Amino acid sequence: MSYLEYNVKTVPTGIRKVLYLNWPLVLLLITVASFGFLMLYSVAGGSVSPWVEPQMKRFGMGLALMFIVAMVPIWFWRNMAGLAYAVSLVLLIMVEFFGDVGMGAQRWIDLGFMRLQPSELMKITLVMLLAAYYDWLPVNRVSSPLAVLIPVLLILLPVFLVLRQPDLGTSLLLLMGGGIVIWLAGVHWGYFAAIFASGVGLVTAVFASRGTAWQLLEDYQYRRIDTFLNPGTDPLGTGYHITQSKIALGSGGFSGRGFMEGTQSRLNFLPEKHTDFIFTTLAEEFGFVGAFSLLVLYSLILIFCCVSAFNNKDRFASLLTLGIGGTFFLFFAVNMAMVMGLAPVVGVPLPLVSYGGSAMLVLMVAFGLVQSAHVHRPRQG
Amino acid sequence: MTRTPLRPLPRILSAREHGENPDAIERENLRLRHEEMRDKSRDRAEGRLLVLGIFFLCAFLAVGMRMAVLAASEPSEPRMAAAGAAIVNQRADIVDRNGRILATNLQTFSLYAQPPVMIDKEHAARELVKIFPDLQQDQLIKQFTGNRKFIWIKRRISPEQKQAVHDIGDPGLQFGPREMRLYPNGPVASHVLGGAGFGREGVSSAEVIGIAGVEKQFDRYLRDPANSTAPLQLSLDLTLQAATEEVLAGGMRLMNAKGAAAIMMDIHTGEVLAIASLPDFDPNNRPRPLTQGDQSDSPLFNRAVQGVYELGSTFKIFTAAQALELGLVQPETIIDIKGPLQWGRFTIRDFRDHGTQLSVTDVIAKSSNIGTARIALDIGSDRQKSFLQTLGVTEPLPFEMIEAHTVNPLYPRNWSEISVMTISYGHGVSTSPLHLAGAYASLLNGGTKVTPTLLKQDGPQNGPRVISERTSAQARTMLRKVVTDGSATFGEVPGYHVAGKTGTADKPRTNGGGYYDDRVIATFASIFPAHDPKYVLVVSLDEPVETSGEEPRRTAGWTAVPVAAEIIRRTAPLLGLRPQVEPGPITGVTLTAN
Repeated sequence: MSYLEYNVKTVPTGIRKVLYLNWPLVLLLITVASFGFLMLYSVAGGSVSPWVEPQMKRFGMGLALMFIVAMVPIWFWRNMAGLAYAVSLVLLIMVEFFGDVGMGAQRWIDLGFMRLQPSELMKITLVMLLAAYYDWLPVNRVSSPLAVLIPVLLILLPVFLVLRQPDLGTSLLLLMGGGIVIWLAGVHWGYFAAIFASGVGLVTAVFASRGTAWQLLEDYQYRRIDTFLNPGTDPLGTGYHITQSKIALGSGGFSGRGFMEGTQSRLNFLPEKHTDFIFTTLAEEFGFVGAFSLLVLYSLILIFCCVSAFNNKDRFASLLTLGIGGTFFLFFAVNMAMVMGLAPVVGVPLPLVSYGGSAMLVLMVAFGLVQSAHVHRPRQG
Repeated sequence: MTRTPLRPLPRILSAREHGENPDAIERENLRLRHEEMRDKSRDRAEGRLLVLGIFFLCAFLAVGMRMAVLAASEPSEPRMAAAGAAIVNQRADIVDRNGRILATNLQTFSLYAQPPVMIDKEHAARELVKIFPDLQQDQLIKQFTGNRKFIWIKRRISPEQKQAVHDIGDPGLQFGPREMRLYPNGPVASHVLGGAGFGREGVSSAEVIGIAGVEKQFDRYLRDPANSTAPLQLSLDLTLQAATEEVLAGGMRLMNAKGAAAIMMDIHTGEVLAIASLPDFDPNNRPRPLTQGDQSDSPLFNRAVQGVYELGSTFKIFTAAQALELGLVQPETIIDIKGPLQWGRFTIRDFRDHGTQLSVTDVIAKSSNIGTARIALDIGSDRQKSFLQTLGVTEPLPFEMIEAHTVNPLYPRNWSEISVMTISYGHGVSTSPLHLAGAYASLLNGGTKVTPTLLKQDGPQNGPRVISERTSAQARTMLRKVVTDGSATFGEVPGYHVAGKTGTADKPRTNGGGYYDDRVIATFASIFPAHDPKYVLVVSLDEPVETSGEEPRRTAGWTAVPVAAEIIRRTAPLLGLRPQVEPGPITGVTLTAN
């Protein structure tokens, strides 16, 4: 059902919308963010500067943005999807030419008041556009080759640009986030099977060719893959992060060392301790209990998104909600897996907890969209 | 898929009959179809969501389980330190015959930088230059601020330097363990040990590989972790080696030689107890090979093993011994030495005129070229060649130093009669001093073949017989006479009964043919004690000039022999030899009674 087909009069209007917000979700977001504040406070050695204060300000700004976005009817956002995608694509291209270089990669654009990371923006606008695309596309044409080609191109374009920055983690997230939306839109599973099979085939070919005459990669590239897959072989080099964070997790034990008692993170063993690897601080100070609680909180947010989407008859709204939920899932799952040595180290922050402006604001806007979809969902009667 | 038509004809017709609007039927059917499609897509979407949900759940479980496993695991401190400790002493030590250390390992550190984690790059660079004055501050800053994520600063630093760098306090300056080969005795036995360098280098460790000498020869044994507690035991005696090197160095300076070599060997076991080549080097800081000029001038060149020289008259005893063995002569047989000896275009002269005839013993003692050449003519080329082969001076030695395997003695390709004559007194044939030591040992130990070795042996080699015991004893008697009455009278060391043979050979010109008039290789090959030989000593000096007299003297009797005598004087007590002083006539003894 498209929003044109239902009676918009049953949708709450004006200030009354606030009552129809998904308040448990808001509460969950605040709780998770508070985890982040605590950790940043601890990492800074018991001080609100340099990280907690700006992080709190940004979260406050994010909350405000979320409410504003939530108040705007979801059909407005649907109509904006194409424009939003175009704007983030242009920003990505601008990064290519005018971006600041930070940590060896071009990722930011300086907007004066804040430094914007267009790749973060792209994560949401891509999901928006894909959801709008499938809302527009007649359901029976979803699996036709041309109709599949268009979203694939829409995904690959930003993926390619982000890969050039270079930022492998974000481009993989974009790829997978877009993939989730296409999957949920009901594209025939054969396409996915084909891509999966060819991917497996390629990887097998690359490894099978190792040491033979027709070797596909150079030796040093294989060695990099080795360390990538097994960081233990080079514990002071590529595997450094992983080794240190595993130690932090191990020393946390079941209930942790206690707030502000973590050594591994505060003694500067871990670079990026306030961003991508903040989870280790949590695990060390609050142990398995704390880490698992965070995982449960994240899962609850995800479940709330799923339930909201499930109860939403509007195709765009439900696809958007699930797409955002999926992207959110990818964020925390990849980050946690990476920190615990289950996945290779790619730069993916822990959502709402890691220090970082763009990611936080973009995520809050995304949840604003989820709220808007929730508030403006078609109702019977 | 089968579809119900939007305007089914029967219903339209019946509707028209009843005066209803047929379009309403179409709208109704369209609505139904849309609902059907929507429901279908919802079903599908729900299925898809279920699959995704299962995937989420799996991920959740995986992450949760991993969390639990890690939380339950013992916090293991960085394994790096342990791994670094494991490589310590991995390369086996090298010890002398008494177990004294010749080569061992030392734990040092390497210093590297990781600019991305550095805090204050300029400060770090400034402080580093204070610790290592050879570094350039500008260059360091350039490197630190560049794109590189890893920079070697120093490959080896001392503990004090490490502490100083540590005190800079920059987390981007890091250390890796480095096992280093250490030769605690410095240049002593430098050529034998050779040296070691780094092979593949990593942050956490570096491969130490032998690059010369026994370090390279036994590289595989030394590197095998299974042998890390089983040191390689050489036949060398550190004390003897040091004493030999010291005396040889003094002798070389005294005789104004540009190089010298000495080999002290056990005559029965073939164990090399001391082997020295000067000039030498410090294997802890091995010099680079020469990029131009003659490699044999480099301190890396091992004259005792790699140097192939015409060793001159020292070869005469081989001719005499073979003739005795073949029954061609007796020690007392008189040989015609009237010179000069014309042979085709060649003329053979003696260094000094010794009259017209001498006994075989005196031919050796006085070192007559003409006499030796005449004896050799009776032996002939085939027998001479095979005898020299038996003594092992025509082939590279299977000596336990990587450098020895490529040392080929030089012989005339066409072994003509004139070659027989010149080879009989050691000209036109070049071998290394080590070859000579091996041949002397085989000839004079009673006549059994001995191959020089650097590894400690359990007992005598008991090789195949080279000559009879009787001939060996006769040869020893002749050589003893060289020292008592012949060309090597400076070789007498009271109590130790030295026997030996001198050899002085003109050095061949490096540019083209012919020989220098004023450049010689002076060699003294000796055994002691003569009546019951235990040790062989070969001393060879390169371009010696003895200037105490009116004329500069270069012959071995004046140069190599005194040096060898001094070495024997110094080392015989270390070897545990008791001097045997023959009692003189008892004079002036007063018998007293009280």
